[in-house]
Amino acid sequence: MTKKMLDDFTVVDFTHVLAGPHCTKMLAEHGAEVIKIEPTGGEMIRVFPTLKEGRSAHFVQHNIGKKTVAIDITTPEGQKICHELVKQADVVVENFAPGVMKKHNLDWDTLRQLKPDLVMCSISCFGQTGPLSHLPGFDYIGQAYAGIIDLNGERGRPPVFGEYAFGDLSTSTHAYAAILTALIHRMNGGGGQYLDICLMEVLFSYHEMNVQLFDTTDGEFVCERSGPSHPLFAPIGIYTCKGRYIFIIGLGHSWDSLMKVIGREDMLSDPRLADVSGRGKHTDEINAAIEAWLDTIEDVETAVAILQEKRIPAAPILTIPQVMELEHTKERGMVRTVSDPVFGTVKIPRTPMRFSQFPDSPDLQAGMLGQYNHEVLRERLGYDEQQINELENTGVIGSKNI
Amino acid sequence: MTRKHVLDGVKVIDFSHYVAGPHCTRLMAEAGADVIKIEALHGDSSRHLPVMKNDRSGYYIQHNRGKRCLGLDLRTQEAQDICHSLIKDADVVIENFTPGVMAKYNMDWAALSKVNPDLVMCSISCLGQEGPLARFPGFDYIGQAYSGVMGMTGQADGPPALSGMAFGDISTGAHAYGAIVSALFHKANGGGGQYLDMSLLDCLFSYHEMNVQVYDASGGALVPKRSGHQHSFVAPLGLFKCGDRYLIIVAIGPQWVNLCKLLGKEEWIDDPRFADPVIRNENRDEISEAIEGWLATIGDPDKAVKILVEDNHVPAAPVLDVPEVMEHPHMVQRGIVQTIDDPKFGKVKIPASPMRFSEFPEPLNLQASGIGEHNAQILMDQLGYSAEKVAELTGAGVIGSKDT
Repeated sequence: MTKKMLDDFTVVDFTHVLAGPHCTKMLAEHGAEVIKIEPTGGEMIRVFPTLKEGRSAHFVQHNIGKKTVAIDITTPEGQKICHELVKQADVVVENFAPGVMKKHNLDWDTLRQLKPDLVMCSISCFGQTGPLSHLPGFDYIGQAYAGIIDLNGERGRPPVFGEYAFGDLSTSTHAYAAILTALIHRMNGGGGQYLDICLMEVLFSYHEMNVQLFDTTDGEFVCERSGPSHPLFAPIGIYTCKGRYIFIIGLGHSWDSLMKVIGREDMLSDPRLADVSGRGKHTDEINAAIEAWLDTIEDVETAVAILQEKRIPAAPILTIPQVMELEHTKERGMVRTVSDPVFGTVKIPRTPMRFSQFPDSPDLQAGMLGQYNHEVLRERLGYDEQQINELENTGVIGSKNI
Repeated sequence: MTRKHVLDGVKVIDFSHYVAGPHCTRLMAEAGADVIKIEALHGDSSRHLPVMKNDRSGYYIQHNRGKRCLGLDLRTQEAQDICHSLIKDADVVIENFTPGVMAKYNMDWAALSKVNPDLVMCSISCLGQEGPLARFPGFDYIGQAYSGVMGMTGQADGPPALSGMAFGDISTGAHAYGAIVSALFHKANGGGGQYLDMSLLDCLFSYHEMNVQVYDASGGALVPKRSGHQHSFVAPLGLFKCGDRYLIIVAIGPQWVNLCKLLGKEEWIDDPRFADPVIRNENRDEISEAIEGWLATIGDPDKAVKILVEDNHVPAAPVLDVPEVMEHPHMVQRGIVQTIDDPKFGKVKIPASPMRFSEFPEPLNLQASGIGEHNAQILMDQLGYSAEKVAELTGAGVIGSKDT
C-alpha cells in the first residue's frame, strides 16, 4: 500500500470557523489523523448555511476527514483528556483569540512540557503579540487592517468587499506550509517549535507592489481603489460586452496584438502611448477604443475567443454556476463532490494542491458532533466504558447527530 | 551543527518570473533554502516594473531576495546541459511558464524526472497544465475572472471591481510552497520525487468558503452574487460609514448579543426574526439602520471602534489605506513591514514573510541579485567548470550577466 504523505502523523485540532479548520482539513487530506476537539454544543459554523436536518454543509466543506470529539475544555477532566491526546500527537493547531488556550492550560508553554518535540501552530487575526492581538477578529477585520478593503471598489465611492474568504483560507494554507516546514526541521533533528500565523500579515503580504511604491516614492504614490481599471497600467481592466463583463490585459506584446485586433494600429505609433506608464496616463482613451470594438462583437464568449487566439490575456467574468459548468473546470475536477450522511452529496472546491503521486482527492467525510468520542477515548487513551459514560453524564464530553 | 533555518540544506532550481513563482522561491529562500534563479539573458520581465531607481526595480527586489542568479540562453544545448547538471544535484525545481514552454527547453517533468528521479518539480500556472484553457496566457486577474472571485467583488448594481493587489499570485505562491514542503517531507520519508501542478485558478476557486456548496446544496435556489458592502447570506456583516471613514462590523457569532445591548435593542436578543445570522439577514436593513444611527451619534470612527471592540468585544475594524497600515503601532511592533537595504536601490520597505517560526524569530539577511551575478561562482564552484570554459560560454552568448 502506498503511504500517504502524512500517514502516521497525529494532529490535535482545537480550531473553529475557517482559518484553522481549512488547515487541518488539508492535513487530513494528506493522510494525517486529525482529532478535532469541539465544544459540546458544537462549533460556530455548524449553524451556517446550507442547513439540512440541523447539519451544515458549510461545516462539511471544511471538516472532512477529521475525527470529531466534543469536550468541555473548561473542565479539568476535559483538559486532562486534551493533555493525554497532545502527549501522543505531532501537531497542535488552534485559532482562538490569543489568551484563550492559556486560560484552559493548553498554551505552548504548557504543551511543550508534555511533548517537547511538538509543533504547535496558532492562527489568529492579528498575531499573538502587539496592541491589537487580544481583539476578536474575522477575515474582513483582517482585510480592513491590512489595507485590502480600502482598495476594492469605485474611486470616490465606498469600498466594497469580495464575498469569499480568501483571508481565512489562504492564511490556513500558510499555516499548513509552516507546519510542514517545521516537521521537516524536526525530522532533521531541529526539535519542536511554535508557529504564530495571522491573517493580517498574510493579507498584507498580498501587496505585491503597494508598500514599496509608497515607500520608495517618499509617499508620493498612495494606491487607491480604482474600480474596473488598474490604477497604474493600461489597458488592464474590466470591460462591458453586450451587458456582460470581460477582463482584458494588454501588456507587453499583447498591447500590439490588441490594437491590431481592435483596428487601432494608429495607437501603436502614438508617442503618448509608447510605454506602459504613458498608456496608464491615458486609460480612458484606451478603454473607449476597446469598448467601441467590443460593441461590434456578438457576445463575451466570442470576444474572449478572438483575443485568446491572438494570445491576448482575456477572460469572461463568471458567476459561481458558470465556473462550475465550465468545460475546463470539469476536465480538471476543480469542483469535487463529497458524500455526507445527511446531505447525500455536497459539491465543494477541490483543495488546490495537486500531487502526481496522489492524483485523486481522498474520499473523506465530516464527523457528526462528538462522533468519535468513544473511539478516541477508548482506543487512543485506554478509557473503559464506565469512565466514558461518567464523562458523558457529567457533561465533560457530549455528542449530537448534527 | 546549528541549522540556519527550517529549510537549511534544501537545493532549489528556480525558472520562475514575475510574481507567483518568485514569491514561492522567496519564501523558500527566507526559510533557508539555497535558491538558484535561472533567468534569460534579458532578465525576468519584472526587473522593469516600478519603482525604478539606478536601473534597479523595487518590485524585483521585493520578490527575489536571497536567490543566486544565473543568466543563460535556455534555447542552447550548452545552457540546457548546465541546467540538467544543476538539477541532478537539486531537491526542487520550480517554474511558472505557460504550459509547454519547459518541454520546448527539455526541462519538463518527463525529461527532468529522468535526470533526477527523486526530484520534486512544481509548475505554477494561471489555469493549470491541462484542460481547454491551459494553453492561454494568464495573469492574476485572468484567474480571478475565471474562478468567480472577481464576479463576487463590487456593488450589486454596478460592474465588478478589481482588487488593488495580487492576492492570486502571492497566495498561489504560498500554496506552491506548502505543496513543495509536503512533497519534500514525503521524499525524506522514502516516498520518492513527484510533480506538482499548481494553478491560480484552483487556489482562487478554493477561496469560495461557501459559495459553491450554497449553490449546490440549495439545489440552485441560492445563486451567490456580489453585494457590495453587505454580505449576501449572513448579517450583520458589512461596511458602515462613521464620520469620514468606513468601518467593517462582523457580529455573526456570540458577539451579536453585545451589539444588541450596545445599540439599545435588547429586545432583539430573543426575537425569532434575529435568531441566527442567516435569519437576521432577512431583516438586515433594520439592523443596518440601527448601526448607522448609533454610529452617527458617536461621529468619531476611532471612538466607535474602541467602544465596539475594546469595550464590547464586537469584531470591528477601521478600513485603513496602505500608508496607515505601515504606520499602525501594531504592525510596527510586530515588524510586518521589513526594510531592505539594497546595494543599488538603497532602502526599500516591503511586506515581511507571514510565516513566523519560534526557532528562527529573526529574518535572514537576504539581498536580490543582478542578472547572472553568480554565473562564474555556480559554474566553477558547483559544477567544476574552468575559468576558460566560463569565458567561452559567455563569449558564445550561452551565459551572460547584467548589473541591474
